[in-house]
Amino acid sequence: MDTPTVFLLLIVLSIAGFFLGRRRSRTVVAGEGGARALHSLPKHYGYMAALWALLPALGLLLLWMLFETSILANIVIGELPASVQQLPESERGLYFNQVVSYARGAVDASQLSDVQVAAAEHYRELLAASGKLKALLVALMAVIGGLLALRRIAPALRARNHVENIFKWMLFACSFLAVLTTLGIVLSVLFEAIRFFQKIPATDFLFGLEWSPQMAIRPDQVAASGSFGFVPLFVGTLLISAVAMVIAVPVGLMSAIYLSEYATRRFRSVTKPVLEILAGVPTVVYGFFAALTVAPFVRELGESMGLSVASESALAAGLVMGIMIIPFVMSLSDDIINAVPDTMREASLGMGATMNETIRKVLLPAALPGIVGGILLAVSRAIGETMIVVMAAGLSAKLTINPLEAVTTITVQIVTLLVGDQEFDSPKTLAAFALGLVLFFVTLLLNVIALYVVRKYREQYE
Amino acid sequence: MDSPKALNSLSSAAGENVMDTGSTQETVASEAAPRIPLDIRDHGSVGDAYETIGTPLVENAKMSARKVNVYYGDKQAITDVSLDIGRNEVIAMIGPSGCGKSTFLRTLNRMNDIIPICRVEGEFSLDGEDIYGSGQDTVLLRARVGMVFQKPNPFPKSIYENVAYGPRIHGLAHNRAEMDEIVENSLRRASLFEEVKDSLDKPGTGLSGGQQQRLCIARAIAVSPEVILMDEPCSALDPIATARIEELIDELKENYTIAIVTHSMQQAARVSQRTAYFHLGKLIEVGETKQIFTMPRHELTENYITGRFG
Repeated sequence: MDTPTVFLLLIVLSIAGFFLGRRRSRTVVAGEGGARALHSLPKHYGYMAALWALLPALGLLLLWMLFETSILANIVIGELPASVQQLPESERGLYFNQVVSYARGAVDASQLSDVQVAAAEHYRELLAASGKLKALLVALMAVIGGLLALRRIAPALRARNHVENIFKWMLFACSFLAVLTTLGIVLSVLFEAIRFFQKIPATDFLFGLEWSPQMAIRPDQVAASGSFGFVPLFVGTLLISAVAMVIAVPVGLMSAIYLSEYATRRFRSVTKPVLEILAGVPTVVYGFFAALTVAPFVRELGESMGLSVASESALAAGLVMGIMIIPFVMSLSDDIINAVPDTMREASLGMGATMNETIRKVLLPAALPGIVGGILLAVSRAIGETMIVVMAAGLSAKLTINPLEAVTTITVQIVTLLVGDQEFDSPKTLAAFALGLVLFFVTLLLNVIALYVVRKYREQYE
Repeated sequence: MDSPKALNSLSSAAGENVMDTGSTQETVASEAAPRIPLDIRDHGSVGDAYETIGTPLVENAKMSARKVNVYYGDKQAITDVSLDIGRNEVIAMIGPSGCGKSTFLRTLNRMNDIIPICRVEGEFSLDGEDIYGSGQDTVLLRARVGMVFQKPNPFPKSIYENVAYGPRIHGLAHNRAEMDEIVENSLRRASLFEEVKDSLDKPGTGLSGGQQQRLCIARAIAVSPEVILMDEPCSALDPIATARIEELIDELKENYTIAIVTHSMQQAARVSQRTAYFHLGKLIEVGETKQIFTMPRHELTENYITGRFG
């Protein structure tokens, strides 16, 4: 039996467990006052039986799925002739993969040796046996779990608390999974970055002023030995983010103020969704908008004023990124300004303050922590943004703060390092991980600062 | 069965009162009969063409309102109310919840303007000047008619900045020393200065509820208004803080005209000279506070102050 069928069977068993549990809870108290004699409602006993049937069996199923392939592979490889056994590991893997492909019907027998065909037959048998065994064991596990739960049902059993507890642990497991995933990503980036730093000193990376990661990936290639100074990328990233924030913060904040304080309900009901559509535009669309429309426009505008503007400028990328972030800043600020209690508005207006004075002197100070937090979140989004800068900002890692020149960012370089043919232990490839690690720390730092600012001002204002 | 009877007797009683103002004794006597607890909803019988009993109008009024109708969308919140507020008097507005007393109070300094669905009709004047006229500026109006709200609502700023807020926006102080003086005087008049003089730079939101409300009063009087509107200023306070505020109202009435909305009849009796009783958007009876609480002339007023509903 294949896994979806087993899963379906498991669901059916646990639903059966629910109904049996509910019925049994009613029968055990039938003689003594009915459902009132039970500690919990009958449905809680049902849930309990269902969960007892479902969870252990589900765990078994997951474990089986995790280890099935590797165990089967070990058995089949163990039976292959000694000549194959002595092959190097990578070739043996290739040999075995052909067996598996044949067993699945993906390749025809003409490409395989007789030994392989025989092994494939064996593999197929084992797989079928494993499927049957899996279905049997899982069903057995579910039935045993369900029966154990049914046996325990008694008027004094606190099924409600029991079920609540199980749910608590299930929720905990899910959140733990999210934390584990994050930790896994961070660690894998960290280890690869350490391998990079073994080849290129960390000081060269962190303080180097030149970025040209061209390295020969084959001995016969001619290329520079490469320099991995990360400063130009970082400056480029900050430059583009700064341009973006100069656009996004005033426009976003002021439109939020207009929407929350001045706009009529009708205007707001039209405008807010339209602005939120901006947030829904895929960044790749913004990207070619930046590269094909905004960048030439900026260049022509600059030239008409006698400035020399690169055809892919930080200004163009920053402008479009700013437009992309506007709805983000607006939506967050709008929520926060709306959260300032109406009594504050009344108090200020009741003193004879104008709307403008009320906004500047009362609402914005009260909403400041939230607004600053929102803006810092927007900054970390700008720093991590990739698609727009890949298309519009260019690739030349020039160390400059002139927004009219082409610059490059950390994310752009990660993309270019990993596109195309790679050698996985070359510093060029590993540099991507080091850049990723730095990017991760920068956004982490920004988030920490955001939290700190929010907390500091909250103490002052509440 | 009971309610139609109650309705009939009520409308006839109301009719009598309108026609014959001397019938108070009689009404009271007829009420001596065994009482059925009344439901506020039974009293919708005061027709649209009603007349306020007592003395809603006074000579030499500070503020006056004539034929006021207020609507929230389609719903009428106030029907045909005319009321004067005398100079340097404390007028209390009482009545069951939803009777329109707060709404009426807020029309006096146009706080209802900030509610989009609210529509106000009628004539209002402050010292003979039209409040809703086209030449009127809400900024100047609200500087003259200040407001203290039900829930203490100090700004999330320091105590000093809270009081200095109004003088700053109206440009009342020209230098730091003048501002210090205004702040100190306002806090003193709100009898809060002694308690906070060493912590003027601490946030106003850190004070106790009663102190916060006195801070709000100090904030309101810092711009030297002529009228102070108070919307249930003690409803969130304990009896001790309430007593402080009431003392304060008593002192303030020397210099200011005060209109106070309250749910506490004892409070109305203690602080006010005149009392107005509102019922379902209508102004039923206005009179000297003593008379309202000892010899109410309208049955609804009597039912309310004797605690039979509301």
